[in-house]
Amino acid sequence: MSAVQAQSLPAPRRIDHERPQRRLRPAPERAARAKPRLAYAVIALGGVAVIIVAQLLLSIAVTQGAYEIDALQMQQTTLTRDEQKLSEDLDRVESPQFLATKAEGLGMVPNSDPVYLRLSDGAVLGQPTAAEGGAGASAPLVPNALIDGVPLGDGPKAGETPLEGSPGHSGDAATKAPAGAPAPVDGGLPTPATH
Amino acid sequence: MNRTSRHPMRRILLSAAVLVALVGVFVVRLVDIQIVRAAELNEQAQEARSQPVTVYGARGDIVDANGKVLADSVMRYDIVLSPKQASKAVVEREVPDPADPEKTTDVVVPLPELAAELGAVVGLTGDQVQGIITAELAEDPNSDYAYVAKLVDTETYERVKELGIPWVYADEHPSRRYPNGAVAGNLIGFMDSDGNPGAGLELGEDECLAGENGEVSYLHSLQDWVKIPGTEIVHKQAHDGGTLNLTIDTDLQWEVQRIAEAQRQATGADWATVTVMEAKTGRLLAVADVPTVDPNNPSAIDEDDRGSRSFTAPFEPGSTFKALTAASVINAGLADPFSKIVAPYRIIFPNGANVNDSARHDDQQLTLTGVLIESSNTGMSQFGELMSDRARYDDMLKFGLGSETEVGFPAEASGDLHGDPDDDWDNQTKYATMFGQGLTTTAVQIASVYQTIANGGVRMPVTLVDGCENDDGTETTPPTQGEQVISAEAAAETSQMLERVYQDAWLSDKWNIPGYRVAAKTGTAQVPDGDGGYLKGYLVSVSGFAPADDPQFVVSVSIMNPVKMNSSAASAPVFQEVMSQVLKKYRTVPSGAPAPELPATW
Repeated sequence: MSAVQAQSLPAPRRIDHERPQRRLRPAPERAARAKPRLAYAVIALGGVAVIIVAQLLLSIAVTQGAYEIDALQMQQTTLTRDEQKLSEDLDRVESPQFLATKAEGLGMVPNSDPVYLRLSDGAVLGQPTAAEGGAGASAPLVPNALIDGVPLGDGPKAGETPLEGSPGHSGDAATKAPAGAPAPVDGGLPTPATH
Repeated sequence: MNRTSRHPMRRILLSAAVLVALVGVFVVRLVDIQIVRAAELNEQAQEARSQPVTVYGARGDIVDANGKVLADSVMRYDIVLSPKQASKAVVEREVPDPADPEKTTDVVVPLPELAAELGAVVGLTGDQVQGIITAELAEDPNSDYAYVAKLVDTETYERVKELGIPWVYADEHPSRRYPNGAVAGNLIGFMDSDGNPGAGLELGEDECLAGENGEVSYLHSLQDWVKIPGTEIVHKQAHDGGTLNLTIDTDLQWEVQRIAEAQRQATGADWATVTVMEAKTGRLLAVADVPTVDPNNPSAIDEDDRGSRSFTAPFEPGSTFKALTAASVINAGLADPFSKIVAPYRIIFPNGANVNDSARHDDQQLTLTGVLIESSNTGMSQFGELMSDRARYDDMLKFGLGSETEVGFPAEASGDLHGDPDDDWDNQTKYATMFGQGLTTTAVQIASVYQTIANGGVRMPVTLVDGCENDDGTETTPPTQGEQVISAEAAAETSQMLERVYQDAWLSDKWNIPGYRVAAKTGTAQVPDGDGGYLKGYLVSVSGFAPADDPQFVVSVSIMNPVKMNSSAASAPVFQEVMSQVLKKYRTVPSGAPAPELPATW
């Protein structure tokens, strides 16, 4: 800063005049601040340590979890495979071809001449005819490669409880049914040809 | 010291500049690596340390109207071996030590034994397995990949795994399965051996069904191959295909196919089709084409029989078409069921067309009803000529003929109305088209014509696919807007005439369904040989609907060339059985009042 300029400015002159006394004063001692510094350092370092340990623990937990997930996923794969195997078997035996063959094995035959009983006046619509035991259902008319070679197990096996609808049962049902029924049926109830 | 202290500022500035420049270079590089190219580099790093794994998006299921699965996706496995390893590796197994039963000892298992074990599981002999190995080695001594068996099921896969042969492994191979076999196989189609849709809805609705395979990669631990958390990168998201809902009922479809195939075999016919349609909605409940392909094993059947002829094979419909002509004439107000004509055996019309009936007879005094009952070509021609060819043609178009149905089945035929009536119909064709010759329709189109008559003249769009449920939850729905083709009165009168046909025609005792009023018409159509003439055999058919007083179901039967019974007597029992089954299955209420009497003669 040049002297000419300083003189031409009136205001700063007063400040220049006072300044020299303030220069080079000793800094006040700050002995009291030494203690907090250590505490901060401990807190900071401790925090870092805690974070590191926490991260380590978390990492261990996550890794442990990864193994658990892996084990469970392996289990899931196995179970999915089992489920697929079972549902394939189920779908096979649910197919109409399989059901029809089983039904025929039990002595059932399809009836293409349905007869209707009208409840309002008790009229019988249609001619009751015995269902003919056609080769129909069991013949391989509608192929299914999936049930080839699947054991059909015709009829109830020895030792199994006979199903309802076997001769003894239906005989009882037929004798009980007409009692109390005002059905004006000519010629009695149709008798299945299978018996 | 002097020199350096002479310009201290310059030195500081210089080193500062160098420092800033250096730091700048590092910062730019850092930003470039960490931010700008971060994704790319990460991927490269990932690729270097891991292999992308395919996540299979499953192909969607095809289900029937009740949700029963007709086609679904399953995981199959290709069993693969490494010929190189098989020839070199020494396989040891722990077996109980013969000297000390409590200890085990390692025994080297020779290759023939391993080959025999593997072969037994996949259905080959040990020699065959060894043959695969030697053949592959002869081609490439370093070969690591040879198929032993393709598309084996889970059970076989697990048994192969249990063998624990180190040079045998398995590749996943998503595949398709049809639990009901040939039931609706004609409609569903099949996949070819490469896993691409080959025919039917698999092909036509591929857009709905196809899944999209995804790809992920992840880092894994060195020894036990455990995925390291947070390292998975999804390169491409996998999507499952949508579920395709059909209007078909599996049980009915099976029964209809069974009936049709039994009759086809009994009559020695080439093929047969049966269509069952809901009269009020146009929904197809069953479409049988026999012989039918089993999609699990398409090659078991002749290639021509693997599709759906109901959609793809147009034929000259013959007399079932007379119902359409009669409905058109009544709708135009030019005749009614009581209108009278004299039907001779043969008529030569003024334009030179020569029309005759199928059997020689004296002149008959018939009403329009009688013409249908007797199925008189000469009678029908006299009614048909009351309308202009153009008006009849326009009616045919409105009935849905001459263009593919709304189903849009793959390779669906439009049928051929023999071009334009003014330009392309010759004098004979003008009359032949009145009784269903000289033009072609598909079986589904004929069913749709009867649906229109059954539904008060309103033609509903033919529906086979009820919609597609995508994996994101969206759903498509088919059109349901009908179109009035003929007046309700004309439809009702045609329906009543068809009831008389059902009751009085020569087949009436063959197709009787007690308790119901049925409207039906037979046809015995000549089959063009492709060279302008006709073959010796006939296409016999029956189309009709029931109950006639409140039509619910349309059934249309066509049998091609039943050599043992070359008349519609071959198709009538099929119609009777199928219609009975349909009425029984859907618990249809039997008709009350009897069919109205209409005079057939005068």
